[in-house]
Amino acid sequence: MSFSLNLSFSDLLLLLPEIFLTCWLCVVITVDFVSPRLPKERLAYLSVGGLLATLGCLAWFDMNQVSGTLFGNMFVLDRMAIFFKIFILGSTILVILASIEYVDRFTLFRGEYYALVVMSALGMMFMASANDLLSVFVSLEFSTLGFYILVSYLRDDLASNEAGLKFFILGVFAAGLFAYGISLVYGETGKLVFSDMASAPATPGLIIGFLLIFAALGFKIGAVPFHSWIPDTYHGAPTPVTAFLSIAPKGAALAILLRIFIVALGTFKPTWIYLLVAVSIVSMTYGNIVAIAQRNIKRLLAYSGIAQIGNVLIGLAAGTKMGNDAILFYLLAYLFANIGAFAVVIAVSQAIGRDEIEDYRGLGRRSPFLAFSMLLFLLSLAGVPPLAGFIGKLYIFIAAIKEGLYTLITVGLINIVISMYYYLIVVKQMYINEPIDPSPISISGPMKTVIYVGLAGTLAIGIYPQPFTDWVVAATLMFANFVTPAATVMPPSLLIGG
Amino acid sequence: MGEYALLYILFAPFAGALALIFVSNRQPSLVRGIAASAAFVSLVASLYIFYGYDPVRGGFQFVQKFAWSKELGIALYLGVDGIGTPLVLASSILLFAGIFVSWHIKDRAKEFYIWLLILAAATIGVFMSLDLFFLYFFYEMSVIPMYLLLGMWGSHTKKYLEMTDPEGLKQRDSVGFIFNFGSNSKEYAAMKLVLFLSAFAVAALMGILLIYKFSGLNTFDILVLREQANLMNIPVLGTTLDKIIWVLVFFGFASIAPIWPLHSWSPVGHAAAPAATSMLHAGVLMKLGHFSIIRVAFEILPETTRELMPIAAVLCMFSIIYGGFVAFYAKDTKYVIGYSSSSHMGYVFLGMAALNYISLSGAIIYMFAHAMATGMLFAMAGWVYDQTHTRDIPSLGGLSNKMPFISGCFIVGCMASIGMPGTVNFVAEIMIVVGSWNKYPLQVIVAMLGIVLTLAYLFKMMRGLFYGPMNQKYSHAHDAVGTVDRLPLLMMITISIGFGIFPMHLYEVVRSGVDPLIARITHVVPVAESDEVLRRVKDAAAITNSPAIPMVSNTPITHVSEAPRGGQE
Repeated sequence: MSFSLNLSFSDLLLLLPEIFLTCWLCVVITVDFVSPRLPKERLAYLSVGGLLATLGCLAWFDMNQVSGTLFGNMFVLDRMAIFFKIFILGSTILVILASIEYVDRFTLFRGEYYALVVMSALGMMFMASANDLLSVFVSLEFSTLGFYILVSYLRDDLASNEAGLKFFILGVFAAGLFAYGISLVYGETGKLVFSDMASAPATPGLIIGFLLIFAALGFKIGAVPFHSWIPDTYHGAPTPVTAFLSIAPKGAALAILLRIFIVALGTFKPTWIYLLVAVSIVSMTYGNIVAIAQRNIKRLLAYSGIAQIGNVLIGLAAGTKMGNDAILFYLLAYLFANIGAFAVVIAVSQAIGRDEIEDYRGLGRRSPFLAFSMLLFLLSLAGVPPLAGFIGKLYIFIAAIKEGLYTLITVGLINIVISMYYYLIVVKQMYINEPIDPSPISISGPMKTVIYVGLAGTLAIGIYPQPFTDWVVAATLMFANFVTPAATVMPPSLLIGG
Repeated sequence: MGEYALLYILFAPFAGALALIFVSNRQPSLVRGIAASAAFVSLVASLYIFYGYDPVRGGFQFVQKFAWSKELGIALYLGVDGIGTPLVLASSILLFAGIFVSWHIKDRAKEFYIWLLILAAATIGVFMSLDLFFLYFFYEMSVIPMYLLLGMWGSHTKKYLEMTDPEGLKQRDSVGFIFNFGSNSKEYAAMKLVLFLSAFAVAALMGILLIYKFSGLNTFDILVLREQANLMNIPVLGTTLDKIIWVLVFFGFASIAPIWPLHSWSPVGHAAAPAATSMLHAGVLMKLGHFSIIRVAFEILPETTRELMPIAAVLCMFSIIYGGFVAFYAKDTKYVIGYSSSSHMGYVFLGMAALNYISLSGAIIYMFAHAMATGMLFAMAGWVYDQTHTRDIPSLGGLSNKMPFISGCFIVGCMASIGMPGTVNFVAEIMIVVGSWNKYPLQVIVAMLGIVLTLAYLFKMMRGLFYGPMNQKYSHAHDAVGTVDRLPLLMMITISIGFGIFPMHLYEVVRSGVDPLIARITHVVPVAESDEVLRRVKDAAAITNSPAIPMVSNTPITHVSEAPRGGQE
């Protein structure tokens, strides 16, 4: 495969968000070096400013339907990529705002923390656009690199170090699997770009290769049986990093999974549907049942995240345009509820210093705002109307029932009930149990912003989802005729400005 | 305001709850004022639709439709027919009464009213939804407030309170408390209620999703589905699809009704709940089950309903007898009323199972009547509990000296609950009994036995609470003297007796909803033109038992009831 690099200015426009963010990353690092006495929250606001500018640029792209491909189809900017980039940037901004207070706990390298967060976000933005096995691999490892460091940022905390080590070893193992999978797929088909593989015959090598790739991506999203790193890593990592880890990489990896399953393997749907159904059922059931036994709120959210991914995979198993819409919609609902729940966890742990579930005793009296927000976030994760999570789950179920996935839906519905139990245990601690120490809990300004954004999103999506469904439906338009091999091939001329 | 009445009824409580978020608990009178005025708006608008509903025209009135999600085929589609109208009215009456019943709540009053308003609004939402999605949406939404209301303001049973040793306290707070801590705590009751109802609600959701898929119409609109969905004769798993959907929908919604053997969450929940919540719970929440079965199973699967409704006829006997006997032996005031409610819900199932004009109308009037009667009883049990802090009947007694007004009202409540002539319960019971006699004589005999049982356990409780020697421990108890305390009871008594003496408008409204439904299910044309109620009932029953007469046209019949002035009372 050979391609020539003759980039025009208009080609570079497609890369504008990434280019801008790279420059901004350099600015953040430079500012941190040049003026070490600068209060670190200024650095946080500086990073947020850059991310907001990038977000604005992407929003402009989305409104004007800018799309195109670069580097011989390695990099694709379609509306789905834009959706995932906005998703990643949004979660990054909220995570940075939620970490401003928490960063004081780090003994060293407080400034670099923000740079690393932005760097990981940059890597994930490339993941959202990757349309080729090599660019997937490179961007995946690029974003994970930042996370390896971020997870073990609490240098004096054994749990954080353990989390980092566990994440690193398993992460590198997954990278190895991925590379091996790529080599097998390339050896069998001679192709790297997803849309070129659609007509490849199903040889054993190809199947094993894709299974290995699926395992590596399953590791990223934390689906059973590739989940073993999740609880310990989530538990040990600094809480804002856990929040980041629980949202953004899952979104980015799902973008790749969508491209692989729908574009590259669209013709093999009757085969891979069994794989996805099995993984989805096991993830939901395992995540929810093990979550019941958890005493630590971060571990509880880790297992609930595993179960949520099982739900998302129902949409992937549906394998239709509606299934894809439902996945994107579900991720939006999950973003707001999960970031909000983690923001509450951070706020509580700032005040109390621990994050066991029993520390939430009487939160309803100590801080009615935090308790009420947590209630709504947990109920949204459980899927209770009128919150976002309910519409998300229903959207996925409707997409799946149209494809006749009755078993999967039955298991999903039963799991809603199981999950309600452990979410309500937290609610019980917050509202029914009386506090041991009734002193009120104060919340910082940025944290309040994050929680308000989470609440607004959770309620808005739940009460009036039409604008959001419109957005996701438009975002997956590229998949409207995904059975045909040339699904991702863009029109030859760039479509800018309409 | 006319055509927007339903929006006022539905959104006034939501708006009240929203406004309450911004009020501080330090202004209790403002909090109560907002809650009461929200409920008042709802009540006035409900009275407006109840009396503004035109039974001659029939069908769905006050219809409001807003597109909600084009992608999923969902619209916020609201409207009431003759079946929904009385239930909406009952909900807003009980909400209004419930706010006054809980007037003296001290602990986190604001939060209490917020959840109570959301609970009532969600319940009202079910009664006016013409879209399957929103029916489920509001149904599930009404479950979660129950958890918080029970957990935060509920009360434990006597046994639980005795368990105060360190080991017992530790067990109360353990994660797996459901498994290692008996059924006596309010936490257990709340959790059981939510999990039980959610588990069966998702079964109903599965049924709804199957209707959505196999109708192929891409819509959740009940009116479209009932006209166009063809779900019959699709073979699945050795039976047909419509039967599977019907069973999922029926048992999914019957769990909240609650039909035996799915009733076990209900008395526990009643017992743990604060008075106003018990009122709404027994008064209207349980009716969500019957109503949703009528709306989903009866409307969309009429043929299957005719085939499978005998299941309900069998189960309702167990409901009536089992609930009655347990209520007789229960020692906790709220358990007695709770089991009595689940027993009485058996009558509604009997009325529904018989599937004729008289019995189904009776069932719906019974839902309204039971809401008033059980609302009164729970309000008074709540008052007694607030005064004495116990619900243990053997330790109480002789309270009529201390609270003559309450004990007087209690007699009226018992009479209403038994179905004494003069109360609306009598009208309903006689219609159920007469309407079902030809088809289910055994069940009617059981229902009669149930009435005797009701008499027995309610009188037993009345004697235990208000008569006999008084326990001096409770000599500080006092009567309901203030207007605020008497208003809700007097209101419910007035309505119960008022409709008992003048049931005609209620009857006509209900009939206008029942007629097209029964005509679709049984293909029997309703009988009119008769001045005497007995003859009319006989005719209706006779036709029901004769081979089905196919209807000439399938359009809904808007039946004008010429008949019975006087008669029943």
